[in-house]
Amino acid sequence: MSGSKPDILWSPHHPDRYVICDSELGLYRIGPVGSTEAKAGTLPLSEETAATLLAINSDTPYMKCVAWYPKHEPECLLAVGQANGRVVLTSLGQSHNSACKELVGKEFVPKHARQCNTLAWNPVDSNLLAAGLDKHRADFSVLIWDISSKLSPETSVAAEKIRLSSVDLDSSTVVTKPLYELGQNDACLSLCWLLRDPKLLLAGMHRNLAIFDLRNTSQKTFVNTKAIQGVTVDPHFHDRVASFFEGQVAIWDLRKFEKPVLTLTEQPKPLTKVAWCPTRTGLLATLTRDSNIIRLYDMQHTPTPIGDETEPTIIERSVQPCESQIGSFAWHQSSQNRMVVVSATNRVMTDFTVFERISLAWSSTTSLMWACGRHLYECVEDSAEGVESLIEKDIATKMRERAQSRYGHDTVQVWRNHLLAGGKDPQLKSLWHDLFYILSVSHMKQCAEDMELKLQGNVQSVVYSGIKNIVKTTSGTTESRRCWSGSDRQTDVPRYHSEERCLALRLCGWISRGTDTDVENFLRSLEQEHEWERAAAVALFNLDIRRAIQILNKGAMAEKGDLNLNVVAMALSGYTDEKSSLWREMCSSLRLQLKNPYLCIMFAFLTSEPGAYDGVLYESSVAVRDRVAFACMFLNDAQLPRYIDRLTLEMKEAGNLEGILLTGLTKDGVDLMESYVDRTGDVQTASFCMLKGSPGEVLKDPRVQCWIENYRNLLDAWRFWHKRAEFDIHRGKLDPSSKPLAQVFVSCNFCGKSISYSCSTIPHQGRGFSQYGVSGSPTKSKVTSCPGCRKPLPRCALCLMNMGTPVSNCQGTGKSDEKVDLTRENKLAQFNNWFTWCHNCRHGGHAGHMLSWFRDHTECPVSACTCKCMQLDTTGNLVPSDSS
Amino acid sequence: MDLHILDHRLRVTSISKNGLVNFTHPLIKLIFLRNRTRCKFFSLTETPENYTVVLDEEGFKELRPSEHLQVESAIWLPLNVVSNGSASSSSQAVGVTKIAKSVIAPLAQQHVSVFMLSTYQTDFILVKEKDLSVVVSTLEEEFNIYKEEGGESVPVHCQDVSNAIQPTVHPVLIPKNQFCVMSLDPDTLPSIATTLIDVLFYSSRFPADLLFTSSSGELWRMVRIGGQPLGFDECGIVAQISQPLADSDISAYYISTFSFDHALVPEEDIVSVTDMLQHQRNEPATS
Repeated sequence: MSGSKPDILWSPHHPDRYVICDSELGLYRIGPVGSTEAKAGTLPLSEETAATLLAINSDTPYMKCVAWYPKHEPECLLAVGQANGRVVLTSLGQSHNSACKELVGKEFVPKHARQCNTLAWNPVDSNLLAAGLDKHRADFSVLIWDISSKLSPETSVAAEKIRLSSVDLDSSTVVTKPLYELGQNDACLSLCWLLRDPKLLLAGMHRNLAIFDLRNTSQKTFVNTKAIQGVTVDPHFHDRVASFFEGQVAIWDLRKFEKPVLTLTEQPKPLTKVAWCPTRTGLLATLTRDSNIIRLYDMQHTPTPIGDETEPTIIERSVQPCESQIGSFAWHQSSQNRMVVVSATNRVMTDFTVFERISLAWSSTTSLMWACGRHLYECVEDSAEGVESLIEKDIATKMRERAQSRYGHDTVQVWRNHLLAGGKDPQLKSLWHDLFYILSVSHMKQCAEDMELKLQGNVQSVVYSGIKNIVKTTSGTTESRRCWSGSDRQTDVPRYHSEERCLALRLCGWISRGTDTDVENFLRSLEQEHEWERAAAVALFNLDIRRAIQILNKGAMAEKGDLNLNVVAMALSGYTDEKSSLWREMCSSLRLQLKNPYLCIMFAFLTSEPGAYDGVLYESSVAVRDRVAFACMFLNDAQLPRYIDRLTLEMKEAGNLEGILLTGLTKDGVDLMESYVDRTGDVQTASFCMLKGSPGEVLKDPRVQCWIENYRNLLDAWRFWHKRAEFDIHRGKLDPSSKPLAQVFVSCNFCGKSISYSCSTIPHQGRGFSQYGVSGSPTKSKVTSCPGCRKPLPRCALCLMNMGTPVSNCQGTGKSDEKVDLTRENKLAQFNNWFTWCHNCRHGGHAGHMLSWFRDHTECPVSACTCKCMQLDTTGNLVPSDSS
Repeated sequence: MDLHILDHRLRVTSISKNGLVNFTHPLIKLIFLRNRTRCKFFSLTETPENYTVVLDEEGFKELRPSEHLQVESAIWLPLNVVSNGSASSSSQAVGVTKIAKSVIAPLAQQHVSVFMLSTYQTDFILVKEKDLSVVVSTLEEEFNIYKEEGGESVPVHCQDVSNAIQPTVHPVLIPKNQFCVMSLDPDTLPSIATTLIDVLFYSSRFPADLLFTSSSGELWRMVRIGGQPLGFDECGIVAQISQPLADSDISAYYISTFSFDHALVPEEDIVSVTDMLQHQRNEPATS
């Protein structure tokens, strides 16, 4: 009769057994494929599992609903609700000497016949079986039977005006008197016992959900709703209940039963089953009619801060366990996320495990974790050098270390920042030197108004816009042919000069001042750093072959010097400009075997035709600045921009920070930095670098703002709060627009005016809070009353002094803070003078007093105030990990 | 107690015995193919005189006008009493008896004509749409009245009207037939459809073993009220039967048809009911 609607029930105690009920009951055992393969009659459920039919029971026709007895003994006792409202106890696959013998066959008959819609065993008091029936005009729809009750004597049956057919009277197993009768003149469509109290029964009645309390059956709690089908309690969260109506699922919280806490998106077809996953919190599976998918709703309750009511997030997804339309499904009691699905027709069964969502998270330090089901995986990259070195290489570790060494904060000797960063990264070295030259050039212009270097247009912007833009505007280029210094031989190498080229050379760091093309200072500094080859190359490019040889000799003689440099010097000294000489021929071929790129390009320069210096310009292991400087000297006005453009593009694509020299801090520079950040994730360098840019466009670029915000978040995540404060101050100096507006004002209790606002309207700048002792200079005159109404300002709850009075115990040190450089103690003393308030109880006082109070107390210092102020501050108990 | 005014506008019609053939198609559609029609309320009662069909306006459209179809002009609204689960379970009496005192008697006093339809699940009290304001004002004191609009229940209040009249006492007829009352799960309808069609349209014998739900085995006897066709305007007919039954705590089904009213009472109570009604009929004569 109900053959069209199959259902599945897992055994409450045997993890490998389940019952399928359609027109009859079939008990199956599930097992691995291998072990059951040999036997005939096994049904494959999945690649690994198969089911064996153990028993069939067709004693109970007209089945409408089935419920499995929840206790261990008797083992396989089922209650079957029939179309006429009778509830029959039956069993499957049990030998008849078992404990349930006297129970099997027992029938529970309502006074008036109508369909039994639902059955529910009480999970604790397992003698109680609740049956939900259709409406009858004078009968109850929820009947709770006691299966252990003695059979009712026939006399009482007569008294109850029950007229049973003669057949029924013959059988001695009929119970007609329910233990409880509930829901008069109503229909019951679904039932479940509440897990929070076994005396409470939740029923989906005709138009409402009702909670019946068996201790007081005359009262019920109810809420009017249409969603009354399939009520089911979340096994992990006993106050959460799901019910449905047509295509919509409603989630209820029994503690706030007036309306659903959630309604899930409506499905086009009516739902047939809704079930909470017993092995996973907050996972609800739903099935609609004529569908081959099961829809899963993952309800996550993340703990939210106090008073912050946020909607729980729901993740919805669908799974398709089999091709055919699904008749019903049942979650396995203990196997994680596993269910058996039965098709709507033919009783085709599928064993199916819902794959858990994977959630992935990077930590702000070095680790990568992901979670799948109950497993948490930490990702460790395999490498020959071991984990330690990998962690060291990790950009997060690097940035953390650099943040601690105050990387980026040296604003005077900007180039020193690369040393703060560890001094190992050539790109960072180049970057910070570029920035140093840019800043020193622009600074020099600003201050000294260097007449020699007056260029058209805005000098400042030209300097920041990089060599690429500088050489574009080049004009008035002069050509000169110079002699090799120390010799009177004329070279046929043309060298180009212009103001822009000169500026570019300065930005490259080759020359330091004016049009002075003397590189002697630069050579000396290179010698100091033992960069012999580079110094020799620079000397050579300045056509001073003798100096180059001299440098190489020096290098060979220096401590740990390479004696081969002498050999190179010898080779160099044999230079001849004879086009077809043996020297030229040998050098141009053998130079490629030189390991040092600078030595290599020296010979490339000497053996090239004038104007064709590809051997120098495209030697990628030579620093960009040197190649650019070389290009500025020896390429003509047509070649130079072409070369610079090409090099810029190359740098941008590679995200090579040396390219900042070419792009400057322009949009081009941001593009380059973007590919650098994409490659390395180093938002720290990106933030500091872009902050150095001239105020304006680059800082407004959303990418730059994103790097800065991410770096700040990173510092917060590391609990480097002092570092972040330093960074914010640094940022505020360089980018005044980033300073947040004051959002909190202290208003007077009496007149309501902001005391800080009324101060700032006074034309005399720099007063502000200082007059209230807030800025920590207690020697200055103090205001302890409101400037608006002259009423006293609030008092500190501990010392009872008005706001504006310094903390008494630091008066001694207060005298000595005339010094500009405040010691740590003084800084703390300043902070101690600040006023602070609890946002909850509005009590407060000097920050120092408050801090020391809450070191020993949890409650507010004001008597009779029980506010736990410090605990409300979620970050109050965290300790910064950078105690600078 | 709650009184629900259901969201149906009903017509009461009658099909003559020999005219049934003309209506076989719409009736089968209305009974068995519920997803093919928008009719939400349908009742068919066969009596020796005719077939009474009560159905909403959507269903009424299916019935073609014919000389065999008689239609009562008024629109009827069904009322339904809901006990609201409150503990009024003292009385075992079923159906009309329970609401006799609270609904039927007051309406009779207010000269409101009612058309009763008892079913296995509940009792519908049909009142004419024009009487609704009187009904509401009469029953307002005892009930929370809700009007259903599109599935939602809306509370109703009304201004008062009043009038009163002495009812006529109608003769009763108590045939020897035994009746059986049962309900069917809608899902089982397809499986017994052919049998039901046979019973309805082609033969008159109802097969004994057809319905599994007849288990309670209760048997009922019928009391037919009215010697002449009763019409639809007279009030107090239901009240004069249900009142004494309620007094004696006898449960009953009450089914109005186009011509007459019928009350079903339990077989074991038929003697006392007969006595009581006989006594009632003699009383006005003597007093």
